[in-house]
Amino acid sequence: MSTITESQVSIEQLLDRPWVTIVWDDPVNLMTYVTYVLIKLFSFPAPRAHELMMQIHTEGRAVVSTGTREEMERDVQRLHEHGLWATLQRDDKI
Amino acid sequence: MSNFEKMGDGYSLSLTQDEAHILINLVEQLLELLGEGDFFHHYDTSDPLAQLMAMPSEIVTPEDPVLMRLLPNAYADPEASSDFRRYTEPALRGSKQRILRTVREELSEIVDSKVDGVVEELDADIWLVAINDLRIALSVRLEISSESFEKFELMPDEDPQKSVYAVYFWLGWLQENLLTALTS
Repeated sequence: MSTITESQVSIEQLLDRPWVTIVWDDPVNLMTYVTYVLIKLFSFPAPRAHELMMQIHTEGRAVVSTGTREEMERDVQRLHEHGLWATLQRDDKI
Repeated sequence: MSNFEKMGDGYSLSLTQDEAHILINLVEQLLELLGEGDFFHHYDTSDPLAQLMAMPSEIVTPEDPVLMRLLPNAYADPEASSDFRRYTEPALRGSKQRILRTVREELSEIVDSKVDGVVEELDADIWLVAINDLRIALSVRLEISSESFEKFELMPDEDPQKSVYAVYFWLGWLQENLLTALTS
């Protein structure tokens, strides 16, 4: 029984999973520019923007926003306007 | 020597005649590239009528690697990506074209004057994005990677790629200079 309940919960969670916007590392965009764009587009406090930029740089990617698919599509579009390499997908974490 | 400076509420950029020539040359080349495959490119893409005429089915994933980097896929899935592209690429392309046209207009004044000059009261965000898009375009042509600095430093001066790299390097310096003026 408990197994079935757990799997039901995870299916519900699966359907409810939010979408995420990911910014990918590239060897061109200046670190200061990436930080500046993150502050401008997402109103992050400077230390948080810096932390995300460092995550992009060292880990190759970072989630910069979470929400509905439509919201993430808008964020990706704004990041592309600024020359950052961004994609959206369903959150991998359950 | 090029330099961004805070002036009143805005920013100014002083450029030598040579620097203004290099910049306008790159801006015009990129404008041309962004117009390719864009069948309404004789119109101003911000014109509501031009947007109306842009038939979504005509928009395909670009083949040119510079365009692919400037107008990238939004999804890992090719189908979701091309659906998204069909509805959003004209706006993204239009935004990049508008920014480059603004910068081109401001540079034309210096280029036409035939002497060194200053772009006054410039929009820092527009210039940041324009310089960034130029750097991205050059980086694709130069195949920039994290090891490029050493590669180009060791390259003999007579290699034509070295002078392109020098321009790419200068654009990075210029962008950093503007960011310093903006955040200090």
